[in-house]
Amino acid sequence: MPLEVVLLFAWTLVIVFLAFLACNFEDNESDIGSQSNPNSQVQLAAQVGQVHRFFNKAISGEPLSNALYQGTAGMVAWILLYRLEPMVPDAKWKAAVVAIPLGVGASALIHMIFATTAHCGRTSAQKRFQQPIYLDVFYGHLLPIATHGFMTTFSILCIAYIQSNLGTLSGDPSLNHPFALPLLAFIWGITVGSIGSSTGDVHYGTEREFQDRPFGEGKRVIYHGRITRYADCGIRTSKDISPFCAKFGSPATGLTFGFIILLENWRTLIGMKLAGFLPSLPAFTAIGDTAAIWGIILGLIIVAGWIVINMVFVKWLRDKCGPFVGA
Amino acid sequence: MAAAEEKKVEEKKVEEKPKLKLTFPPAETGLALIAGILAVLITIFAALPAVIKGLGMLLTIVWSADSVRKTSKYGLGTGVPSIGVMATGYGVIGALMGLAFAKYGNIGQFYPGVLVGVGFMGLIGLVSGYFSNSPKYIAMKIPRLERAMMELGISGTFANLLMFSIVTGSLNFKSVVTQVMDTGVVASMFILSIQAMAHPYNACLGPDERRERTLMVPAEASGLLCVILGSAMLVLGTSPWGLWDPVSLIVFGLLVWVVFYTRFIKACMKECYATVGTGLIKTIE
Amino acid sequence: MILIVVYVTIGGCLGSLGAHLCPVGGAPAAMGTATGIATGTIQILLGAVVTGLFTAATVSTFSNNIWLVSLSGAVGATIMMQVVMFFANILYAFGCGVLPISGRVAVDPITKAPQTAYKTPQTDGHGVPDVVFVSGSAGGFIGGFGGALMYYTLLYLAHFTYGTAVIAALGIFVSSAILASYNIRGTTEGLWDPKFKTIHKAMIATICVSVLCGIVVVLATIALGGA
Repeated sequence: MPLEVVLLFAWTLVIVFLAFLACNFEDNESDIGSQSNPNSQVQLAAQVGQVHRFFNKAISGEPLSNALYQGTAGMVAWILLYRLEPMVPDAKWKAAVVAIPLGVGASALIHMIFATTAHCGRTSAQKRFQQPIYLDVFYGHLLPIATHGFMTTFSILCIAYIQSNLGTLSGDPSLNHPFALPLLAFIWGITVGSIGSSTGDVHYGTEREFQDRPFGEGKRVIYHGRITRYADCGIRTSKDISPFCAKFGSPATGLTFGFIILLENWRTLIGMKLAGFLPSLPAFTAIGDTAAIWGIILGLIIVAGWIVINMVFVKWLRDKCGPFVGA
Repeated sequence: MAAAEEKKVEEKKVEEKPKLKLTFPPAETGLALIAGILAVLITIFAALPAVIKGLGMLLTIVWSADSVRKTSKYGLGTGVPSIGVMATGYGVIGALMGLAFAKYGNIGQFYPGVLVGVGFMGLIGLVSGYFSNSPKYIAMKIPRLERAMMELGISGTFANLLMFSIVTGSLNFKSVVTQVMDTGVVASMFILSIQAMAHPYNACLGPDERRERTLMVPAEASGLLCVILGSAMLVLGTSPWGLWDPVSLIVFGLLVWVVFYTRFIKACMKECYATVGTGLIKTIE
Repeated sequence: MILIVVYVTIGGCLGSLGAHLCPVGGAPAAMGTATGIATGTIQILLGAVVTGLFTAATVSTFSNNIWLVSLSGAVGATIMMQVVMFFANILYAFGCGVLPISGRVAVDPITKAPQTAYKTPQTDGHGVPDVVFVSGSAGGFIGGFGGALMYYTLLYLAHFTYGTAVIAALGIFVSSAILASYNIRGTTEGLWDPKFKTIHKAMIATICVSVLCGIVVVLATIALGGA
């Protein structure tokens, strides 16, 4: 196999590892800042009389808020690359090394601004439930939130940079993805947010928020709002939630995004290789169509495979655990 | 120059305050009329300096956030972000259509053709509002939903048109495509305008929410938007007014952000139950 | 020209149908109180459709067959939904000790496994059982197909560029899918849920709005010089 094809597959594998990191930190960041669906319980807690010391970061929707940070970082990085790349035409990586961290830093500032308005706004709208603004909670969580957001955005921006320059990095510039860098960062931001919202938040909401309820049952409706507010030693804040969820919820969420990127990118590349599309790239001919057909056939096999895997898993689980016991 | 801008912004806030203290429906309509008329005037003249366009964008975004607030107060079932996404989705399509019609009927630097896109998006908003509210179809039973969705379609289109004309300096479709869409800058604009419209009410949700306090958040979010658009203008170098145009937009954005952000945080800390350095928690049965 | 309106309308309707098929439990599902994916309809559908659009964009650089581009977008969206649902099951099973059980049917329609004895009392089911998984895959497939179809129309029939086509396709898709999500009102279990029977109401609304959006695209294309 020629070197360009090997490099293509290798760079997509690097993207898979970066994707694992990105979603790992995204889930942890939504646990430190208490965002999205489990945050409805934090909101409800004050309303049923349980004053708490959580950081109530209610930015609307995890996919949209992650798209905000990643899209802004992508735009600032793109602005810097636009100005810096003509200065180093033979060593473009130097421009990337300067542009990417600065872009991510700008988006971390915006992240902190939106987090502060959310917490202060929500707490001051709960005046009648006697929920105060604890200034140590307010100031003490801003830096962890910004740091985790920085790691997520950094990984996603690296993914977007590699994808929009995939061909250049492997030797054939026509294989670059047609979307521009900010648009790719925006797209992956939406995906990362929706994955973190549907998988990682389950560990936070069902297990950690209701830690003093029995393990092994769905949380009943009468439990809602009565979250665990006392920690191992003292009163719980959102900083106590993050180390617990980092043990299982965050890596599982990272695995999800890594699998999705792996199956998407390698499926397309293997389809292209099987049809003989690489490395000569005749676009819009019968070979191009065959490459797409191979990709679709592989995809349909994977779809059927996941349905079977889920059926086997659910059956194994039911046989192992048995019907519900207890009250 | 900067002090004059700040005074203008303060004047507008002070002008609106007496209206806000009167009875509720005229205040919302008053805001809609002021923002709508000013947006029409500012959009048609495409060669204005960026600061005035930025002011127009601020008013449009505050107007959209007010519409979102009106609708979501009655409980949407799916949450606040969906209606903000819908507003900006309508806005992008309307802006594209307006830009395509811009070259018909232009007199020098006046482009009344873009109003076709605005009007059409208002029609689409009205139609979807009718279907959402009527008892034979989706039946959400939110009062005046048709009017709110029409307002969202119109204000979303204005916000997007103003953002495009700030970055490209004109309303020419080809230059918008090459400088805004293909470079990916549109993605950042898309998501920032969604967040500026949907975040304010979501962030201030609760029984003790107050309209004047909530409306400070879209103003400071549009300040941030002005800073980012100004830096894009600085790099792309498209303004017909030279280099001080993007720099003045960045300064305007920073000023607006500082004024409204400090006011919002101070208002929150004063109006919440208590602001304490640290403390224990209590359980109220 | 008329084909643009037809394809945009079909894309919008498929998006709305996909939104109705997607099983979402909303905020209660994140606490193990309801069956389905633990998020909102629009959040998960947008995530799946943009993943599909990413793959469809890659394919559209070397193939201009409408079926191939749309099917690659559909398969991409389906794979994303399936991996998300499977890992949600793993988190429920090993992190919280909760079985995937449906709360709306007493016996699973596909595998005929009993559900009620395994369900936690005072909840509405939890996890992602077999029938919900299949319904979610179908929803992702149809939604991704609609989104990629609109992207193809805007790219090759209306001759927009890549960035414009993606943003405009997202804008039109979002307008139809959000009307569908208003019809669902927060939680649904997919094909076997009673809320699925009200789909015809949302369909008529989506058809009207999509036709108007298609007319917008056609007028914009004509005004640009019939390119």
